[in-house]
Amino acid sequence: MPDIAFLALSGLVIASAVFALEARELIYGAVGLGLSLIGIAGLFILLGAEYLAMFQIAVYVGAVVVLILFTIMLVERERGRIVEEEEPVRLGRAGIYVAGLVALAVAAAVILLAPVSPEAPEFYRAPLQELGRSMASSYSVALVILGLLIGATVVGGLTLVKIEQKEKTSGTAQ
Amino acid sequence: MEPLSSYIILSSALLGVGIYGLVSKRNAIRLLISVELIVNAANINFVAFARYSNPPILTGWNVVFYSIAAAAMEATVGLALILVAFRLNGTIDVRKLNRLRG
Repeated sequence: MPDIAFLALSGLVIASAVFALEARELIYGAVGLGLSLIGIAGLFILLGAEYLAMFQIAVYVGAVVVLILFTIMLVERERGRIVEEEEPVRLGRAGIYVAGLVALAVAAAVILLAPVSPEAPEFYRAPLQELGRSMASSYSVALVILGLLIGATVVGGLTLVKIEQKEKTSGTAQ
Repeated sequence: MEPLSSYIILSSALLGVGIYGLVSKRNAIRLLISVELIVNAANINFVAFARYSNPPILTGWNVVFYSIAAAAMEATVGLALILVAFRLNGTIDVRKLNRLRG
């Protein structure tokens, strides 16, 4: 007997994911993506990982969705909307077939091949202290590499989008 | 508590939505949204499998922590590339960004 909260959250996740891809205005699509990510954070809470849920909301909804919204605003033309051409129907149908096949195959493979797990404890919350300890001990190298990666990404993104200053006057001294 | 298979079915459905977007959409930002959906489907699987083992193992949570951070960085670089492509070409329709075609 599935939980009513699980059903509601999964409905929210799937529906707003479809809305994010099918909304006519791209900006509503980004909002739909944010809703879907909030639903996934709710699923994390159901699974006992409140810390991950907070992290998901802070990073995804707070940073990624806002970044997408900014990009849409920078790219926008024609009174705030990006003119999108209609996708050919053939392509959409092919996409549905491919996606359905892959999703079915993955679900069947994982359910069939997953080891039969023993009864998981009914109530469980991720122990934050152990999580932090493992992050600082056995996963410390990964944490350092993550920090380096963040730095490299920030520098790379800024370098990519930087607008080269045109030389205004040739008479200025070096 | 619902069984593990319900979480697997949910994440497979999310993966399907993401692949549908990757195959059929032409706007580069929508492609990026599809990639984010696929990454989140993987994250759900990690957390669910970690929760449903006995006793629950912390590796799944750790992996998802790093995965969320890495996906945010990937989105940053992807959006920067989209912005540059828009400045160079005036469009972000991926089927028109074909200047490198031989």
